[in-house]
Amino acid sequence: MLQAHSFLWHYLWVAPNVLLLVLAVVIRLRNLHKQFPVFQIFAVIVAIEQLIVYAADVIPSVSGATFWRVFWVGLLVEALVKFALIGEIFGRVFGKYDSVAVLGKRVIRGVGIALVLAATIAAAYAPIDNPRYSVISYAHILDQTIFMIECGLLLFIFIFAAYFKLGWDNASFGIALGLGTSACVHLATWAVMANGGMMDKRYLLDFLNMATYHVCVLVWFYYFLIPQKSATTSAVPVPENSLEIWNQELERLLHQ
Amino acid sequence: MNLAVVLVIAAVLALSTILSVAVTRSLQTRESAGLAGNIRPIDVEAFRNLIDPAEDDYLRRRLPPGQFRVVRRKRLRAMAAYIQVASTNAAVLVRVGQAALAGGDPRVAEAARQLVNDALLCRRNASVALARIYLALAWPNSGFAAVRVVERYEQLSGAAMLLGRLQNPAVAVRLSALR
Repeated sequence: MLQAHSFLWHYLWVAPNVLLLVLAVVIRLRNLHKQFPVFQIFAVIVAIEQLIVYAADVIPSVSGATFWRVFWVGLLVEALVKFALIGEIFGRVFGKYDSVAVLGKRVIRGVGIALVLAATIAAAYAPIDNPRYSVISYAHILDQTIFMIECGLLLFIFIFAAYFKLGWDNASFGIALGLGTSACVHLATWAVMANGGMMDKRYLLDFLNMATYHVCVLVWFYYFLIPQKSATTSAVPVPENSLEIWNQELERLLHQ
Repeated sequence: MNLAVVLVIAAVLALSTILSVAVTRSLQTRESAGLAGNIRPIDVEAFRNLIDPAEDDYLRRRLPPGQFRVVRRKRLRAMAAYIQVASTNAAVLVRVGQAALAGGDPRVAEAARQLVNDALLCRRNASVALARIYLALAWPNSGFAAVRVVERYEQLSGAAMLLGRLQNPAVAVRLSALR
């Protein structure tokens, strides 16, 4: 069952991407594409890209070299869309508040530069398993590099928002949670593959990647489809004290 | 393979952090009622006195250097305690403001947005001020100004009062202790 080209393998590669296309349609039908334009593009492009890579894998006439070329192109397109999506998440969480938006942009730029440097160093130290098939090793290293940066940026957004106790809307949180979970798991698995680990059991890592991605698509479905819990709109319960006395006291402080 | 181990550990830690934030968010959504009860009043006047550079100059002139450093460190620790409370209050007010943002009244929403912005600035300034206090604890003779925190805290009090008044004119928001 846990083997390449088993039923489960086909299911885990195809089903999440079909579901992602369905989610893109649901987003369009619910007019949510105006709020999440990049996520809708991400859903469509990544699903189609993954289905093309799947087709390249299962069609017998596609050679190994062609498959890896398709894989490379898909990887680069996916990376671009994902970074645009991270920008959308950042904008939705911090963009409303001027007081942290500017600081957040500065810090995330710094974090981004540091991550690119760290990922470059990690890539430079990764071995090439077999020089004859170096394209495969380079693909693994590129995957490791992309997921390192993606994982670091998403982690920063989570920590920064948590520190400032900023609330998230349901959909933004769901997107970030799914993308972050997927990025962390993929970083771990691609790091093992890129550094020559589990040579004879790599199909298990593929299954882990595909299963995680499936769960993340379901997480996105859940957060887009469940209604947001309405926030408290009643008066804020506050300690007993009259505003007038507090006002007088504040004015006294301000005029000292 | 060593690099892989490091990256796997980093990925596991990152995933744990993200999932713990998710759990915390879920718990916070359930506990959003009674938030303002978590606010601890602060005696702004006492704090202002504590950070007054003139007070430090006076102590510097009157006390021998060794004793001045001891007193200065005590004052810095007291300052840090005040600022930590201000920062915690600001965090509570971010959540109060965000809960109020969903209201239909545009005046309440605008006041809530102002409150959240002020609270975020206060929290940011408090973090910077705390970092400077901890540095100053190592070098007690260095100058230190936490005036911006006080100013921001006062603005925050004003924003919280405005929001409280718009939402319920009968009750009050209190961020500072009265004398």
